[in-house]
Amino acid sequence: MCDGDVMPAAALVIENLSFRYRDRQELAIHDISFQASPGEILLIAGASGCGKTTLIRCINGLVPRSYKGEMTGGVTILGEETKDWKLSQISQKIGTVLQDPERQILGTNVLNEVAFGLENLGIPREEIRQRVNEALKFLKIHQLSERETFTLSGGEKQKVALAGVLAMRPSILLLDEPLASLDPASAQDSLDTVRKLADEGMTVLIIEHRVEDVLRINPERVMFMSEGEIRYLGNLSGLSQVVDYREVKLPAKQILERARQDQPQAEITILPGAASSSDARSEAFGLNDSKAIVKFEDVAFGYEADVEVLHGLNLEIKRGDVIAVLGPNAAGKTTFVKHAIGLLKPKRGRVLVNGRDTKEASVAEIAGTLGYVFQSPSHMLFAPTVSEELSFGPHNLKHPQEQIETEVKEALRIVNLSDKEQDPPLALSFGQQKRVSIAAILAMQSRILVMDEPTAGQDYQNYMNFMDSILQLPGFEAILFITHDVDLAVIYANRVLIVNDGRLIADGRPQDVLRDFDRLKANRLVPTSLLSLNLERLNATGRFMRAEALAHV
Amino acid sequence: MLVAWKYRKRKSIIQWFDPRAWLIFYACFLVSTLAFWDVRFLLFFFVLALIVLFNSGVKWHEIRRAFLFIIAFITFFAILTFLTGRGGTELYTEEHLIREFKAPFSIFGWTPTLKITVERAFYAVTQFVRVGSIAIMTVLIPYSLNPALYGITFKGLGLPDKFAYAMDLTMRFIPTFARDFQLTMDAQRARGYELEKISGGVVEQVRKMGPIFVPVTIHAIIGSEDIIDAMDLRAFGVGPRTWLPVLKRDFKDRVLIWFGVAILIASLVLGFIGYGKFWVPEALLRLAGG
Repeated sequence: MCDGDVMPAAALVIENLSFRYRDRQELAIHDISFQASPGEILLIAGASGCGKTTLIRCINGLVPRSYKGEMTGGVTILGEETKDWKLSQISQKIGTVLQDPERQILGTNVLNEVAFGLENLGIPREEIRQRVNEALKFLKIHQLSERETFTLSGGEKQKVALAGVLAMRPSILLLDEPLASLDPASAQDSLDTVRKLADEGMTVLIIEHRVEDVLRINPERVMFMSEGEIRYLGNLSGLSQVVDYREVKLPAKQILERARQDQPQAEITILPGAASSSDARSEAFGLNDSKAIVKFEDVAFGYEADVEVLHGLNLEIKRGDVIAVLGPNAAGKTTFVKHAIGLLKPKRGRVLVNGRDTKEASVAEIAGTLGYVFQSPSHMLFAPTVSEELSFGPHNLKHPQEQIETEVKEALRIVNLSDKEQDPPLALSFGQQKRVSIAAILAMQSRILVMDEPTAGQDYQNYMNFMDSILQLPGFEAILFITHDVDLAVIYANRVLIVNDGRLIADGRPQDVLRDFDRLKANRLVPTSLLSLNLERLNATGRFMRAEALAHV
Repeated sequence: MLVAWKYRKRKSIIQWFDPRAWLIFYACFLVSTLAFWDVRFLLFFFVLALIVLFNSGVKWHEIRRAFLFIIAFITFFAILTFLTGRGGTELYTEEHLIREFKAPFSIFGWTPTLKITVERAFYAVTQFVRVGSIAIMTVLIPYSLNPALYGITFKGLGLPDKFAYAMDLTMRFIPTFARDFQLTMDAQRARGYELEKISGGVVEQVRKMGPIFVPVTIHAIIGSEDIIDAMDLRAFGVGPRTWLPVLKRDFKDRVLIWFGVAILIASLVLGFIGYGKFWVPEALLRLAGG
């Protein structure tokens, strides 16, 4: 471990901190020591399960008050040790914004939500109103004060949750993956606010997998955690020298420099089941003239009679397509995808799956062609064993029993979970649950895999491995995924759709769609360093590649 | 938007009153209605409910689905009890036959027979009016009471802070729960699960609902951990809390409360002295030859 610049008058001091959860054998974090100063942003990165969230819980007092266990070492805030403090005392010094604002927002309207903490402290009404207004004005969301919280967009929810914390006037702000559910532009807005708070003297600790995004606001220091310990603590420039570029998403140029020293990696074969040619990607680059499996003809839809949310979509999905659907929150991306799988039927126009109008087919009938994997596996897993979970779909589709057994075993083999056949799916790790949910679709023999935010909630290394393995699965003829991550489109897609306000804004090859930065900005997308690097070298490469591959071109 | 609150600010008789006053009146109305099986008394409550409905400011298209469901539900059970004669037998001991229909066949010696009696017919009508009155008044509540005020309303009715805030939390998380439920429904339908085709006995049907109930429950449990953390981190429950919204009760609210209490007392007194029991018109009894 190496410490960065020593900063005076620490707002937060952590000394030899270790914690073991009551029901666990091993320590979640051990021997953590560091300081953070007023006005400093400390970015905390590391793989899922490395102890980041436990560290945050130790600082904000949830450990050991709500999460019991054995804690040693000390947490000192503004010169005072918090060991004997009540949670209500700590909450006035330390504000915490959790990963999912949907679960953190407790009030039915914005005013109630922002006032919640102050109400609990029994502060007089007039002072509450004044502090709530201050917080809303600081975040420039005063116009939302009368809105019901369930009507807010993802970005608005994040700001309202932050306002609720800021109203309590903390000196230290803890942010646990604040960008997870935000589109790139909303993420950028949130980060700019964080920078502003730090510049006004607040100490900010931010846990985030999207390291490259946070680097844009120049955090003073970066901490990299692994297996409950600090592996690196220091300035930004040192980070790329210490950590593996496959573990943390670094700016593309830094990956490029590091990857030059390594042997080139073999390129993955995308959709081996789709193309007779070995390069499905190039086949799909305009050369794919096969018959459409899915066809949208002037599709319009609205959840309410007089409000249209999709306005006349026209497109086709063909064999060999790897389609990334980009667009801001609430753009209609999920509504569009639900039409493809027949969960929603158009109010105008039609969707054809294998030439058949989805209005005349049940979702079960369409499931044989399109399999949909939802963002969170916990929304679908229910069976007592993985094997039963996987047989659920084929059983519903009335596959013969012998065929189901073969399909389940084959699906498990493909996702590398054959040894988990009799395990309860809900007892598996998040990554394994994701693979079970993919296997459930594979077992149904669906030809097209549809995924909603496939990488959300996973760390960089895990989600890249996950995407690599999914794209190489032999069972699918096409893949479509919704994402906020522009780099996923750059690395994996051979076709990009931009959807905004229920309209198809762009549809084409990644290098054609993503080169127009003005259009990206207009659709709340932010160009990444990998995209820029690829565009710089497009003449030489002829296509988009991951940074490691560019290092050897 | 898949899940939306029914509440809107509108020109409504319900919203004209303080929500505490309205809930007290509603409770009085509910208990009073349940005290009667005499359709003549029940008509008073039914008319009262209709007056509230027509002055609630709720548009027909907003409540159409809810009302069609309620009407179908009440009609189904009224007809079911009418046909089987199994409802209301605790309210009358004697039946006056109007007409009897016998099936022209027998099953193992049993001939299906439909008896139309005055009591059965009037029990169905009474049931319709009674449940209809309560349903109208109940359905209007989510359309009329501001969900942001549920907590302070129950606090104002004397509940402790924690219980009162639980009402606020319930209102807050109903849309989230509904969204999670819809997501699970969609996820399972995308795997060929067809809820509408579930068959078998009650136990079997519940078992077959597992693909919906298990993920929804697990998700709710996982989500509740975040909710508890969020509450702890903002000092919930450390002491008496300030409630930012302020409710004001004035003369008209006191009148409404006293009106509700008067109805309740009158209903209880009438019941105590023997009024309000199941009633059938004499004319119908004569028609049936009673």
